[in-house]
Amino acid sequence: MRKTKRFAALALTASLFVVAACGDDEEEGTTTEAPSDTTAAGSDTTAGGSDTTAAAGGDGEAVSACEVTDVGGVDDKGFNQSAYAGLQQAEAEIGAEIDLLESSSDADYAPNIQAFMDKGCDVIITVGFLLGGATAEAAKTNPDQQFAIIDSDANDDAGTPDDFADDVNLENVRALNFATDEPSFVAGYLAAGMSETGKVATYGGINIPPVTIFMTGFLNGVNYYNEQKGTAVEVLGWDGTEGSFAGNFESLDDGKKLAQGFADEGADIIFPVAGPVGLGSSAYAKEVGGIRIIGVDVDMYVSNDKEKEVYLTSVLKNIDAAVFDTVTNVADSGDPGDDYVGTFANGGVGIADYHDQAGDVPDELKAEVEELIAMFTAGEMTAS
Amino acid sequence: MSISESPAPDQTPIETTATTTATADASNAPGGMTFEERRHARNLGISYVVLAGVTALFLTRHEGTATFNLDGGRSFGLPAQGLGWFVAAALAVTAGIQLWRGYGKYTNVVLAMASILVFMSFLSWAAAGRSFSFIGMLASAVTFSTPLIFGACAGIMCERSGVVNIAIEGLLLSGAFTSALVGSIAASWPGLGDSSGFWVGVLAAMIASALLAWLLAWLAIRFKVDQVIVGFFINFFVLGLTSFLSSRVLTENPDYNDTPTLGAWKIPLLERIPILGQILFQQTVFVYSAMLLVVVFTWFLFRSKWGLRTRAVGEHPRAADTLGINVLRLRYRNVILAGAIAGFGGSWWTATIGRFNENITNGRGFIALAVVIVGRWHPVGAISAALLFGLFDSVADKLSLLNTGLPSEFIKMTPYLMTIVVVAGFVGRSRGPKAAGQPYESQ
Repeated sequence: MRKTKRFAALALTASLFVVAACGDDEEEGTTTEAPSDTTAAGSDTTAGGSDTTAAAGGDGEAVSACEVTDVGGVDDKGFNQSAYAGLQQAEAEIGAEIDLLESSSDADYAPNIQAFMDKGCDVIITVGFLLGGATAEAAKTNPDQQFAIIDSDANDDAGTPDDFADDVNLENVRALNFATDEPSFVAGYLAAGMSETGKVATYGGINIPPVTIFMTGFLNGVNYYNEQKGTAVEVLGWDGTEGSFAGNFESLDDGKKLAQGFADEGADIIFPVAGPVGLGSSAYAKEVGGIRIIGVDVDMYVSNDKEKEVYLTSVLKNIDAAVFDTVTNVADSGDPGDDYVGTFANGGVGIADYHDQAGDVPDELKAEVEELIAMFTAGEMTAS
Repeated sequence: MSISESPAPDQTPIETTATTTATADASNAPGGMTFEERRHARNLGISYVVLAGVTALFLTRHEGTATFNLDGGRSFGLPAQGLGWFVAAALAVTAGIQLWRGYGKYTNVVLAMASILVFMSFLSWAAAGRSFSFIGMLASAVTFSTPLIFGACAGIMCERSGVVNIAIEGLLLSGAFTSALVGSIAASWPGLGDSSGFWVGVLAAMIASALLAWLLAWLAIRFKVDQVIVGFFINFFVLGLTSFLSSRVLTENPDYNDTPTLGAWKIPLLERIPILGQILFQQTVFVYSAMLLVVVFTWFLFRSKWGLRTRAVGEHPRAADTLGINVLRLRYRNVILAGAIAGFGGSWWTATIGRFNENITNGRGFIALAVVIVGRWHPVGAISAALLFGLFDSVADKLSLLNTGLPSEFIKMTPYLMTIVVVAGFVGRSRGPKAAGQPYESQ
């Protein structure tokens, strides 16, 4: 009896790990087809590199580009999906062979990367900061394999993961980073101008730099508005170092709970930086009305048709453009290219249309937002 | 809440429980305190002393008034520093009396009151000079602990009849998926509106989860496969299957993943009760169902023939069999019924969010499993434990937007930590049904 119980407890603990680790079994090896609505984010952008002539790979065959997603999956209406949209563009325009593996937990990162190396992909694109460690490890031990990673530098940490000073840049990894604080700054300015209660809010998925860079940009944008106009619009959920986080990128009910909490405190504009979790906030905004949401990564008015009316605008991170650029580089020269930073200037980041809420935004504020974007594009403004 | 800042008081009650559990049967002499009881009383006294110290040291540091917003623009304010000193002094006195002669049968009442004092003092400390929605925090605790209550009731129903159910997570997840899919499709049938379509989805969710539970029962009872292993299997299976179907079916047909969210259904008159009305009676049907379920389930479990038989089968199936109770049939029925309850609980996600997403339950089923044990296999205990967890969870959310300077990762951890502390302090020894996990073979 006692033994059974002990085993049950042990097994329960083990199951927590195993569930975390094995969820991917069903999907392993399937090449997920194109989600139909993926090409939402700005396909009108030309990213960093200019050598985008369509040509086959160096060996005369079609270039093969493979994506390893982070948890959240390729249908997250966020960065995984956006990266895949870039691959689909490469498939359509330069005839690249594309493949995809979804990670259900951090334990899937390394095996998924290994699977693509075994398959002989020309370039492996890993999506997300959290894959940095696994990507760096694989790139270090396979110097001939080309990689590109979103939201991380995937540097070789020289055995000291906490010490960034001795990190070594890996030749075969192209880092695709985005100055998302720029459009977030603009969104913060816009939100401060639109708020009727004088309170706006933001929250993140988990407390990691590619998430908090949005939140800091947003906070700075609100503060800039306050400076310019002498107002005192308050930002809930982020003070520059600590704030509100869902703790994951999966539980939509956490997004609803956080939105409800912010609304209780009087916030009327919410900027979730938490992938699918933000959809919970949109559901709440639609249910109660009177709350505006700012979308993240892609134009959520387009990608989330169900609650499109709640979006004031979206902060665009044009991952698809950067991914497409990377694949064309590999097709042209076998090399993914130099590290990339997306900005307003090169179209790597942007602000979406107001769509249905265009009528609510005063013309004066619209003009100020345009002016801000122009200043960023010209390099006359910084988000920090 | 303050105790989370110092490891010392956390350990004391846990240690107490551990030792009590190990040797509690040693003596049951009536009158006078046993050695164990004296030790427990002493440790409790020491905990009060430490708590008083922590309160005096930390919770008196913020000046200013914390404003607790109630419904309809009402609010009350508490001076953070003053309250901190008052609570510290009260705890010191409590500790003295506890160590001197104890509180006898009022021990737990005093402990509860002391905990509430510390809790309020902590909130005042966190919100000093600011305001926050106290009512909103409590209402959100009720709303978001609902799936835990359903999951825990399903778990209790299985375990009380002798079947360990590790698969609550999988049953909740299958409920969430099925109700979203079927609910969306049913809503578009001619003649069925959004609302009736949704309830068709809920019915389908109950059936789907009941079928999975039947699979659990079949493997565990008929083939005597280890119940924990079967539970695992179902969790993996459901997670994999729903993720696969989600990316293949729901993503490609967004119309199949689009149900309306279920708004609040305010109960007339009751919703007008100040404070309580907004917390308890302006909720969705799921919250009321959870409360009703706990009441009905408790009555049936302890007052009906079915309940007596269930408990007998869970404690001593051989004896029950001898008295003519069909052990296996009762176990089958209870496990399948538990599946239907978990399926209903799983549709809470659909009702709340209006869509399904891969792994949307995100481990809530495992927390429900903990709630079963914390609630001592009793529905009322389970709802208390679930609400407590929900409360700490929403306190954590409020903390994160009050700029207390506490690290967000630490704040995320507090609900789990505090549940352990409270359980160790209040619940103490916890013993499950004796025959849980053992396959039964009739002779």
